[in-house]
Amino acid sequence: MSQRKERRGIHVDQSELHCNKGCGYYGNAAWQGLCSKCWREEYQRARQKQIQEDWALAEKLQREEEVAYASIQGAQSQPLSQPQAPPQASLAPFSKFEEKKTNEKTRKVTTVKKFFSPSSRTAPKKENQEGKTPSPSISRQSSIETDRVSRDFVDFLKTLHKPGREVHKQSRAFIEIMANKKDLSADELSECVQDFYQNLSDRLMTHFKGSSERVERVMDEVEKYIMTRLYKSVFCPETTDDEEKDLATQNRIRALHWVDIQMLCVPVDEEIPEVSDNVVKAITDVIEMDSKRVPRDKLACITRCSKHIFSAIKITKSEPASADDFLPTLIYIVLKANPPRLQSNIQYITRFCNPSRLMTGEDGYYFTNLCCAVAFIEKLDAQSLNLDPEDFERYMSGQTSPRRPEADGGWPQVDPPTGSAASSPALTQVYQNLDLLSGMGSRQDRVLEGVQSLQRDLITWQESVEREVQEILEKYPLEIRLPAPSAIDSDNVENDRLPPPLTPQVFAG
Amino acid sequence: MAAGGGAGNKTYSFKVVLLGEGCVGKTSLVLRYCENKFNDKHITTLQASFLTKKLNITGKRVNLAIWDTAGQERFHALGPIYYRDSNGAILVYDITDEDSFQKVKNWVKELRKMLGNEICLCIVGNKVDLEKERHVSVEEAEGYAESVGAKHYHTSAKLNKGIEELFLDLCKRMMETAQAEERAKGNGASQSTTSRRGVQIVDDDPQAATAAGGCCSSA
Ligand SMILES: Nc1nc2c(ncn2[C@@H]2O[C@H](COP(=O)(O)OP(=O)(O)OP(=O)(O)O)[C@@H](O)[C@H]2O)c(=O)[nH]1
Ligand SMILES: [Mg+2]
Ligand SMILES: [Zn+2]
Repeated sequence: MSQRKERRGIHVDQSELHCNKGCGYYGNAAWQGLCSKCWREEYQRARQKQIQEDWALAEKLQREEEVAYASIQGAQSQPLSQPQAPPQASLAPFSKFEEKKTNEKTRKVTTVKKFFSPSSRTAPKKENQEGKTPSPSISRQSSIETDRVSRDFVDFLKTLHKPGREVHKQSRAFIEIMANKKDLSADELSECVQDFYQNLSDRLMTHFKGSSERVERVMDEVEKYIMTRLYKSVFCPETTDDEEKDLATQNRIRALHWVDIQMLCVPVDEEIPEVSDNVVKAITDVIEMDSKRVPRDKLACITRCSKHIFSAIKITKSEPASADDFLPTLIYIVLKANPPRLQSNIQYITRFCNPSRLMTGEDGYYFTNLCCAVAFIEKLDAQSLNLDPEDFERYMSGQTSPRRPEADGGWPQVDPPTGSAASSPALTQVYQNLDLLSGMGSRQDRVLEGVQSLQRDLITWQESVEREVQEILEKYPLEIRLPAPSAIDSDNVENDRLPPPLTPQVFAG
Repeated sequence: MAAGGGAGNKTYSFKVVLLGEGCVGKTSLVLRYCENKFNDKHITTLQASFLTKKLNITGKRVNLAIWDTAGQERFHALGPIYYRDSNGAILVYDITDEDSFQKVKNWVKELRKMLGNEICLCIVGNKVDLEKERHVSVEEAEGYAESVGAKHYHTSAKLNKGIEELFLDLCKRMMETAQAEERAKGNGASQSTTSRRGVQIVDDDPQAATAAGGCCSSA
């Protein structure tokens, strides 16, 4: 606590720069004040501890769950549990089947070149490049989330009784299997997960006698549980070029900053406050996607984004949006948002989302459009924006921008030239901001004036005080009188009335 | 094992893409089909780009998902992303616009190349209410459709002609294709390929679904 406070000060004690472990090396704030060596040790320990905690929790949950089932089964009457026997029997062989299958897979991939040993898989190597270091506190944070998801999962499965227990067992076994398969390629990882979804939903389909809604509901929970746990090791894995693609897309979008609503034929009028409100929300939604761990939650962000786009179009055009309205608007939103790790997120959803959601569902439609938007942005040229190829090149190289064909230098005047500003919401926005800035500027001037007059007041006050003091000093010059030698208490009155122990003793003077 | 089940209740899920040049009436067709409205201010749906319709065909339930695609030329290259995994495609042209029919021919070539014969193709001549301005002859269009193994339909979104028939017929054909696929696959061979293509074949017991037997009615 106090350490942190001190560090905020300007002066830093030399000793604070050293590793907190006292090993003599210099520490680094990013490593929580440790040196790189001590940090790594600390981090490994934290990880190890987390793994153990995970195991402990899993075992605890398993016990809880068993107790819960035992009590339910005890309470259940015999005739009710009887008809449930066959489904259970049909669920049972699954684990063996899965085992055999995965054995095959493991054998197949031992020949694949190992990129890293399992234990170093999550070592901070990669993230260090980006300058952020996973701290033990972050991994603790995510393990809290994992715990919560595990708990929710068990709670949900409890409502399913026997098949719920089976689903839990299968899911846990699957996660263990996946933990030993860290050197698989992304496609192989995806195949494992998809096979698991397929097999489990087939079994559930038999059990629920074909009620696909109920199967979907269970599969949603399974996806959430499994992918929360696998996320770290399968999102943007180092075996792929997802990360490079992310960077390429990010740079591409940055280079296209000049693309505007007219070029894309986007049917939204951002001057209507309600429309621009929806546009902002759509941008926020698509950015938020990166923060979710479960594929379905990421999809939900895209769907929310799409709904806001539809609202914006409907308010502008007052008719329902068709694909020809929607896609350009989505492209525009993606360009404005430049969502983090866009390619990684798309790949992750494609690889690990429950397939039925992506194939025919509404979420799948919006996701497909997002893929289209990204493909369009990657390939976009002069023709796709109805631009002259030379203009396109000049915009791309940053020589000119479409809003100001000639570089007229200087800033636009604060008072908007009404005609052109009305036609461009972006320009209007700029003018508004300029207005705001100049307003703030004059307010700051006023504050400065106030400060100066206060300073003046202070100075005159100090002077007047000094003057007064001087006057008094002159009026009553200091006279130093030599003290008459006397007893300390001689001028005290009524000394003799004091009780005996306090009566001053009089020395002869 | 569920897939092979008796002739009982099944739910099919189909994805159908709408393809065609801009302004041929794709959006008008689906809005007429799903909302029974044309150029109407009172259309309730927020969007007409993804619409679903539930049907019951000879006792079998069908969930139809209709995917509108952006028809502008600059989006043409995105077609494969849209029609991946679709069970059917509706290729629309405007009978008064010969160019739009040429576009349909391009789509057919592309779809056959990418998806083979598994996809059910419908070629739709829309705006038949403008018969006197027709620029694509009926014989040519129907002849072409037959030559590529597609079916041809005449529709008018404006007059609500031929649309119901178009979708019903398409669903029946997609069901046949799905059943044929099922039979070809035999028992339990590789069900995963089916469901990855988007066809879900499900034994459906409505009793179990509604009167949930005690334990599973948690929703
Ligand atoms: N006369 C007549 N006009 C139609 C018919 N169907 C659509 N239209 C008109 O054709 C125009 C285009 O219709 P849309 O449904 O927007 O066409 P679209 O294929 O969705 O166009 P994009 O979304 O741009 O690809 C509209 O003005 C419709 O009113 C029809 O059957 N008859
Ligand atoms: Mg349309
Ligand atoms: Zn150290």
